[in-house]
Amino acid sequence: MKHPNQETLALHAGGDLGPYARWRARRHLARCVECRDEIARFEQLRQLLPALDNSQDIHWGRLAADMKANIRLGLAAGECIRTDEAAGAGPVWSLARAGVALASVAVLLATGIVLERPGPTVARETGVVVQATADGVQVREGGQSLGLMHSGTSREAVTYQVGAQGSVEARYVDSETGYVTVNKVDVE
Amino acid sequence: MSNKLEIALLAVLGAGAALAQDLPLEGRVNINLGKDSPVALVGMSTGDSHSSSRGAALVIDLHMALTLRNTGASRIHGVALRVVSQEITVGGKGSVSIPSLNIGPGESFPIRIDMQLMRPTQVAGGPLVDVNLDGVLFEDLSCKGPDRLSSCRTLTAWDLEAQRDREHFKHILAQAGPNGLRQAMLESISRQSARPQLDVRVQRAPAVTSAALGPVRTEQFAFLDFPDSPLQPSKGTAQVAGNEAREPHIEVLNRSARAIKYVELGWLVSDPSGQQYLAASLPASDPVLYLPAGKTGIVEQDTALRFTRAGQPVNIRSAVGFVSRVQFADGKLWVPSRADLERESLVKVLPASAEEQRLDDLYLKRGLDALVQELKKH
Repeated sequence: MKHPNQETLALHAGGDLGPYARWRARRHLARCVECRDEIARFEQLRQLLPALDNSQDIHWGRLAADMKANIRLGLAAGECIRTDEAAGAGPVWSLARAGVALASVAVLLATGIVLERPGPTVARETGVVVQATADGVQVREGGQSLGLMHSGTSREAVTYQVGAQGSVEARYVDSETGYVTVNKVDVE
Repeated sequence: MSNKLEIALLAVLGAGAALAQDLPLEGRVNINLGKDSPVALVGMSTGDSHSSSRGAALVIDLHMALTLRNTGASRIHGVALRVVSQEITVGGKGSVSIPSLNIGPGESFPIRIDMQLMRPTQVAGGPLVDVNLDGVLFEDLSCKGPDRLSSCRTLTAWDLEAQRDREHFKHILAQAGPNGLRQAMLESISRQSARPQLDVRVQRAPAVTSAALGPVRTEQFAFLDFPDSPLQPSKGTAQVAGNEAREPHIEVLNRSARAIKYVELGWLVSDPSGQQYLAASLPASDPVLYLPAGKTGIVEQDTALRFTRAGQPVNIRSAVGFVSRVQFADGKLWVPSRADLERESLVKVLPASAEEQRLDDLYLKRGLDALVQELKKH
């Protein structure tokens, strides 16, 4: 069986594949435990995104406005000394310089708009979450987690049960001991 | 940075996670069985425990194999261990329980604990994990241990279910012989493999429902009534939006002559195609719920449950409740009968009991003769 590459799985985990690629990925995932596990790992990694995001304090709109103001100041200062230079430069040269300056301002404005535009709202999890993962059950809070794994047992052979008070348990027959084992995590 | 770039970066970081290193566990795991414990630790191995980095986080994989000996005078039918981490300060805890045991005095038995701890930075020294005995259940249904997780109640309920299901299969063996038992096991295994399971994520005291889920509606519960149940659910609601259900709230009546101190309801949900799933159990216990005979009370939780299947949201269309466990004030427990659970609407969605799961596994791995011998043991 040919597996999708890592990038495709990662994009699928983030819901960023196009319709056709997503359809193909889903078809593959429906029959490939290995790739489903990989998707689950990517989803775990996505939980770390808020912790990695340290760019919130940069105000792109203000930055763009500052830069625009600086350029205007530069253009105004240029006007003050233009009479001396005008003697040595023709009207074509002056128009070219003004064009470059205007183009720079336009690029800056466009950059500011692009950076400042509202992006998709990402719901950030707060509080404690319990859930089943690809190979166990897990209680998670922020960037920390505690998981109890059912190593060596396929997900299909595990019975999961959820308690609405905030618990998840995985029940399976341990392949080594032969005993039914119940791993459970609880919100305290 | 765009979402795609972030994911791609994380993919690269994830691929580098294979750089694992051995984790010496001496002095990092505390095993505490307590004073006058009916079990003794006779062996412990930490196998190939290791730590590795995954992106910016440190992941610690702990693989422990404990061997315990029954040092008491009664046969042990179940054991529960409480597992907590000093290092990982999440607001939660774990437990590892072994039901359906039959360990005689002086006999030893193994327990495997596989844990994964994740935190953003390097761990400090000191114990990583505490493993504490929480409860030991004996064949006469007496229970010993600190019981901080109410393990005694859970182990007892599992044992009652085990007795019920062993009797069921013994009855089939007596009535229909080995071929009848084989047929019953095949049906059980087939039912379990076909049973639809949802992935459910539970979040306690969450913020407001995301607007992306759509409008919130109040879904009324329908109920399955078991004639022999001491408890009767009468009405109930849950707030549902898309694939999220929250704040279930159910009124129950104690129709028995005894006071009730613990109630557990089963909660079924249906998707738009009508496919039914077991969503969760809804427990409530003293002091939040104490029901004298003939009185009504409320079972409710302030959590939010999100349902997915194969990574896709499963929208909720209806909710059904039924009584799955009751404990009276005197400690005695009630569990549904096989006849209750074999109703058309339940048999396809409820999981087998721990004992039925064990017997299915025994039949698959060791065959019919081994199963017949097992049923004759006790």
